[in-house]
This record gives sequence, C-alpha cells and structure tokens, in this order.
Amino acid sequence: MTHPLRSLSLGLLLSLGLVLISWWNLFAWSVVPVTELDVWHAVSAFDSQAIAQRIVIDLRLPRLLTALLVGASLAAAGTIMQGLTRNPLAAPSVLGVNAGAALGMALVSTLPFLYGALGTSIAAMLGGGLAWLLVMLLGSAWRMGGNEHGRLVLAGVAISALCAALTKAVVIMEEDQAAGVMTWLAGSLADARWQTWQSFWPVAVVGLIGAVLLTPSLNLLQLGEDNARNLGINLLYSKLIGSVLVLVLVGASISAVGSIGFVGLIVPHMARLLMGQDFRIFLPVAMVLGAALVTLADTLSRAVTYPMETPAGAILALIGAPFFIYLVRKRTL
Amino acid sequence: MLISAFKRLSLLVCSALLATSVQAVTVQDSKGPFSLDYEPKRIVVLEFSFADALASVGVVPVGIADDKDKNRVLPAVRDVIGDWQSVGTRSQPSLEVIASLNPDLIIADISRHEAVYDDLQKIAPTLILPSRRETYQDNLKAAAIIGKVVGKDTQMTERLAQHQQFMDAMAAKLPAKASVQFGVARADALFLHTDDSYAGGVIQALGMQTPASDRDDSAYRQTSLEQLLAINPEYIVVGNYVHPSIVDQWQNEPLWSLLQAVSHQRIFQVDPNVWSRCRGVMAAEHMATDLARIFAKS
Amino acid sequence: MNAQRFFPLAIVLLIALSLANLLFGAVSLSLPEVWQGLFLGSEQHFTVYEYRLPRIFLAMLVGAGLALSGALVQGVIRNPLASPDVLGVSHGAGLAAVFYMTYFSGASTDWLPEVALAGGILAALVLWYLCGVHSSAIKLAITGVALAAFWASCIDFLMLTKPLEINNALLWLTGSLWGRGWPQLQALLPWFVLTPIALGLSKYLNLLDLGDDCATSLGISPQLLRLLSLAIAVALTAACVSICGPIGFLGLVAPHLTRKLVGGRHQALLPATMLTGACLLLAADLAARTLDPPIELPAGILTAIIGAPYFLWLLLRMK
Repeated sequence: MTHPLRSLSLGLLLSLGLVLISWWNLFAWSVVPVTELDVWHAVSAFDSQAIAQRIVIDLRLPRLLTALLVGASLAAAGTIMQGLTRNPLAAPSVLGVNAGAALGMALVSTLPFLYGALGTSIAAMLGGGLAWLLVMLLGSAWRMGGNEHGRLVLAGVAISALCAALTKAVVIMEEDQAAGVMTWLAGSLADARWQTWQSFWPVAVVGLIGAVLLTPSLNLLQLGEDNARNLGINLLYSKLIGSVLVLVLVGASISAVGSIGFVGLIVPHMARLLMGQDFRIFLPVAMVLGAALVTLADTLSRAVTYPMETPAGAILALIGAPFFIYLVRKRTL
Repeated sequence: MLISAFKRLSLLVCSALLATSVQAVTVQDSKGPFSLDYEPKRIVVLEFSFADALASVGVVPVGIADDKDKNRVLPAVRDVIGDWQSVGTRSQPSLEVIASLNPDLIIADISRHEAVYDDLQKIAPTLILPSRRETYQDNLKAAAIIGKVVGKDTQMTERLAQHQQFMDAMAAKLPAKASVQFGVARADALFLHTDDSYAGGVIQALGMQTPASDRDDSAYRQTSLEQLLAINPEYIVVGNYVHPSIVDQWQNEPLWSLLQAVSHQRIFQVDPNVWSRCRGVMAAEHMATDLARIFAKS
Repeated sequence: MNAQRFFPLAIVLLIALSLANLLFGAVSLSLPEVWQGLFLGSEQHFTVYEYRLPRIFLAMLVGAGLALSGALVQGVIRNPLASPDVLGVSHGAGLAAVFYMTYFSGASTDWLPEVALAGGILAALVLWYLCGVHSSAIKLAITGVALAAFWASCIDFLMLTKPLEINNALLWLTGSLWGRGWPQLQALLPWFVLTPIALGLSKYLNLLDLGDDCATSLGISPQLLRLLSLAIAVALTAACVSICGPIGFLGLVAPHLTRKLVGGRHQALLPATMLTGACLLLAADLAARTLDPPIELPAGILTAIIGAPYFLWLLLRMK
C-alpha cells in the first residue's frame, strides 16, 4: 500500500501537469498566431470578431476537451482489459478492438445501406466487440504452446491484421481518398468540434463512471478465479460488465476521433508504477495520465510537420511501439 | 503477330522509299531517346493528360486507362474521341487488355508505370512521359512531344499557340495578381492544390496567384479550417467530390464567416473531376473558362 | 484426409488452377489459342507467354514460399497462430520500401525489391539482436510482434507526413502480382535452394514438439534447430515480399489448413503446405484478374478475404 501523503502529492502534481499541458495545447504551434493573452481574453472577455479568440473558442477548446476525454477513456479501457485478462500486454489496440472498430466504420461509411441502419458509433462498437470476441475465443481455444499472455497477443495480432487487410480492401479502390482514410485510421483530433464533443461526452462519462465503480471487482479478480469464486463473487457478471465498458469507451473514442492506439497499453503501466497495484487508486491516475498523454500528442501533432498537421495517433504510435517492445522484453514470459 | 510484323516491315519499307512523307521521329522521353518510323494508328494511353493531348490534335486512341469510368475523361475530349476500350485503372492497367488491342504505340506515365515499362515495350513501342504530379509547363512540353511522335507536329505547334492566345485572352478578363486557391473537398478532408500542382499552374498561367504555395513544397496538402484561415485567400474555388463535404460542414461554423473569401462571397464550386484528375490543353481551357465565368458573375 | 490422398488431389488442383489462370483473365482465350500463344509469332504470345505464364510460376513460388515459412515459424514457436508476420520481416520490408518510395521518389523503381529485401533481413537481425539465441520461442514471437508494431507505426508516420506517395505505397503494401514477370521469377528462384534444407529439417522439427529435453537427449541442439528454421523462414519471406509486397495471411492460413488435412507430422506437413500455399495464391490471383476486368485487384486483398471466412469457420468448429 502506498503512503497516503505520497499519493496525495503525486495526485496534485499530476493535476498541475495536466492543467499546464492543456493550457499549452490551447495556443502552441498555431498557424494563425494565437497568444497566451488571446486564450485569456477568449475565456474572460470574448470578442467574436477577433480571429485568434474565435479559434480558441470554436476549434481549440472542443479539441482540447475531446483530447482529454479520449485519453481518459482509452486509458480506462486499457486498465480494465489488463485487469480482466490479468495480462500485462492486454490493450484495445493489441487485442484487436481498434482494428475491428476501424473495419466497422470503414464498412459503414462505404456501404450506404449499412450507414442508414447503423451509424458510425454503433458500427465502431460492433466491429470492435466482434474482433475482441474472436480474439478471446481464438486465444483461449489453443492451449498448446506458450503461456496465456503470449497466446492472446498472437490471436490479437492475427485478427488485427485480418481486420486491417479488409479495411484496406474496402478503401483501396477509392485511390484519391487514400490520404483522408489513412488520416482517419491513424486518429486525428484536428476535426473535433463542439458537435463531436456533444455526442461524445455523455457516453464517455458514463463509461468512465462505470469504470471507477468496477474497480473493487477488478481488485478481487486479481486474486485468481478460484479465490474469487470462494469469496462468492460472480465473476461472469463483472467480466461481462467490464467488457461492455471497454467497448463503450473505445467505440465512443474511435467514432469521435478515429483509431488511436497504444494509450491503453502504456498508461496503465505508468500508473501502476506510480501508484502500486490497487485499482481503486491507479485507475483514476491512469485516466489523468491518459488525458495528459493524448493532449501532449495533439500539441505535437501540430509541431512535427508545421505548418501542416500530423495525426496525433501516428505520433502516439511512434512513442507507444518502442514502449511495447520494452514491456515485452522486461516481462518474463 | 506475324501479320503485324509484316505490316510493320512493309511500313518500314514504305518509309524508306517515301522518306520525304513519313520520316522517323526521335524525341527525348523520360527514359532517353525514343524514335518511331511510322505514323501510329492504334494508340493506348495510360493517363488522362495523354488522351487530352491526342484529342487536341484530333487523334483518337483505341484504349484509355480510365479507372473503368468513362465519365472521368474530360467531356470535350470524349466528344473528339467517341468510344474507346477501357484498359483498367491508371495505377495498375491490365496488360492483357492492352495487348489484346494490338496497339502500335503506348503512352505511359513515368511515375505510375515505370515498373512495367519493359513489359509495355514488348507489346508496342512505349513513349514514357511525366503525367501524374506534372506541372502546367511540363504538360505543354509533353503535349509537344506527343504531337511529334504521332506525326502531327505542325498541328500541335499551331494548337499550342492557339492555346497560348486563348489563355492570354482569358487572363485579360481576370483580375491580375488576385489570390485564388483551388481545393478538392471530400467528406472528411480538404486538399489544397498549390502552384506545384497542375491546377495551381493554370491559375498562375492566367496571371493570378495561389497563396498556399509559400508555406511548404508539397503539391497537394490536407488542410484544416484553421490552416485555411491562416492562408485566407481572396478567392476560393472548391470541387466537392461528395455532398455534404467537409466544406459544407464548415459553412455552419462561425469561423467560416471570418474568411475574406466568404465575407465577400468569393467562394465558388467547380467540377472536381476536371480540376483535379484531368490535365492537358483542353482541360486547362476548361478550367480557364470556368474561372472567367465565375469572375464575370462576382 | 490422409497424406496419400492429399498429394494427388492437391497436384490436380494446382494444374487445374494453372490452366484456368492461362485461359481466363480480362481477355478469355481458348485452349488452342493458349497453346499457340506459347510460341513466338502468335497474336497471343505476349498475353500467354510474357504475362500469364511467368505470373503463374511466380504465384506458385511466392505462395509456396510464404506457406513454408509459415509452417516453419508455427513449428518452431509451437503456436498455430504464429506466422512470418510475427517476426516483423514483412513490416520491415514494407518500411524500407515506403522509405525508398517517399524519400527517393525520383529514383528508379527497379531497386525496390533489393531495398525491401534488405529491410526485411535487417528487421530479422534487429529481432535476433533483441532476443539472442536463448530466449523462449513465445518471447521471440511477442518481441517480434512488438517490433512489427513499431515498423508499422513508422510506415504510417511516413505515409502521413508525405501523402504524395501514399497511393503507390498503399498499392505496394497490399501485395500484388501485377506487372511481375520473368525477371522477377529469375530473382526469386535462387532463394528456393533453401526448400530442400527446410524439408530436411522436418524430422527434427517433430522432435521439438516433444519438448526441448527430449530433443537434446536425442542429440539435437534445439537452439540451433530453431535458429536454422527461423533463418530459412526469414530468408524466404523476405525474398517473396521483396518481389510481390506483403501478401497477408498465406503464411498463417495455408499451414493451418494443411495441418487439418494431413496432420502435424512435418515430413508431410511441409511439402503439403507448399502445395496449399501455391494453390491459394493461384486462386487469389485468378480472382484478382477476373472479378472486375479490366480492373486488377491486388491479390493481397483477396487472400485476406479468403482468410476471414476460414477463421470464422475454424471458430465455429471449435466447440
């Protein structure tokens, strides 16, 4: 158990960091010059004819809020997944949820009759859920060779690759559209507006509250299935709720900004490193860290190829993939 | 094959005998010198700009790589050519269909078809020139080369001179030095064409400017509303591939009204296919006419 | 089905598919036309001899090569969901190719196979450096997956920052036999001297299934055997991918399917899986050319479309 004073000071430090990163995100690397002062004026005394202030209110603010909430959602989803599977390598992007959701959205947006029936958010959740189900089935079906962690990851890779290839099959014929689709697949916050935010936040907030409420069960799950059963906990029930929460959080994020990977993999590990093993403590910390990470990546997305933009998801992948390698090498598998 | 070889041999003999009427032409293409000693009758072109060059001197190709969609070819070019056989996509044309047309000249694009240049050579003599990502000036040079190879050198020279006059006449009707930005809009992205692009080159040839150019060196760039505000061109010309496109969505946002082109109502719609896929003398004249019509109204 | 019934059937299927590939396409030919097309002077000489014939051989070789590497990798890692993809070879090759296409866009495409080959082998060396000889098979696979994810994220980053080349890059990354002919076949063929070595290893690969201790007690070094098998798998995959681009799922599905048909003994599995792989890619390429002529679909997409229902079927059967 971590010392309460240490937790408190770390928590304060993290919140301060998050505020600073958010503040920076509002004005850094703007093509249209936006200063710290403009941000202040936009919030305190808004002048609707000043371009810089309008940009802060109409573009930057919804973008920042979406980034924060996407980061928190993905981090929470990753934490729940690692808790449910008791697998340190589990994360939505590793276990096929992202690829499946992307396939669902690509199918829906290219086949008009599906579009009418489903809508993109539902399609993303359905696709992600189906892919995850397949991964869990495949991963638990072959007991031969290797331990469970490795098996799940291999199943995830196979299903992700399959979904990615089918997504490509859906879009490759529209060759002029390739660049746009690629940007969407990588996940970009550039087009997040108040509209996006309005349809995104209710779902995400419900998911996040659910995640916090689930933490005691996640703690018990870590004791192992047999122990949990002896304590009289209905495992199936909490597993089911956990899975639904993951799908809601990831599906909502993907339909808001596209498929952003690796947040769910990296952040829970960082949070665990800081806060120890208690889910009740490190899940909220993971949410804060996730929010900070995505916001930081979004700021960098305007810097890397200034004055053009690089999708934030591509930058996160560049940071996340080496971490994945590190994680794999560190763990004794 | 035997027959066509005989045909070719007899043509060779004829050309040797009638050296005054049909001369071997040698031009420089992207792979070095290219020479042809007969006037090609069955031509297959693998990009739209080559079809445009042929049509502008009244030569009719038998096959076009048209992505299996005849509407992608410029209407004016379609009027000249009539019907043709599709040979598949521009990125991966079907070599067996090309071979089945028994062409005596293939015109290919160095950027897309270099990997199959040797195979194309086995089917017929292949003239390989830049097309995709070419500039307006590159295109005029390519058209002149095509004119020589198909034996219409004088017609092509005349046509190019006529084109120059046409563009000058159009330029006189248009405001000099105005900043005009063309972009293609899809459901989720707007791509601006800078002066390295073909459309940008046409706008410059008409004595106007493309403002996005001084920001970086790429010919097409994906642009957010914020970046568009930073560029803030006087005139915006948009080709919408779909409706509602991203530009349609932006129109509902308060920021949109801060663009000077919007507040002066200088935002116009054109055919995205002509403006972004078609290139060539006739395509450029189509674009110039579009612009003249737009500016007359505004 | 046992091995005795499998081989004749697979060979008949292979011949039938080759014939179909010769007959059908954007232009359909009759049997006599195909026969005449084999000789110089025929109207159809280009289509038959220069275009379809080398493409058939190439489809067979690439299909067989990728399937064999898949079977070797699955045998060594002892997990049926492993494939050459988990070694990061095809992603490494892809990264090298995309890097070459975006930063040397003026350069000739003739060098693309060499660049991709170097990238694939380099990726395998990085994996070897990270894992060394002594790590467990599953750790090797997971490290390979992580590395592949890294290469993939670099590819995405390149394509997104240089969108001009995105179409060429995407086409290459999907894997296609379009425009490949005799020269590519010549470049690929020498690599197949590795197949007899791989087939020679099959007896020892069976022993790996019994566990390392058992293999050691029989006088075989499991480490050496793994290294050799994986090296062959890497070389074959890199060679195939450098010619045709990463054609997905063959390396995963073909050995899987074959194991269902002939069982897990490597003496039968390895040659049988080569036949399955060849048949699958021939079928995919036939479909690629005939589904929507004159448009050529990338064969890599079709192998994915074949792969998807197969996976579902597997799941349905696993009760």
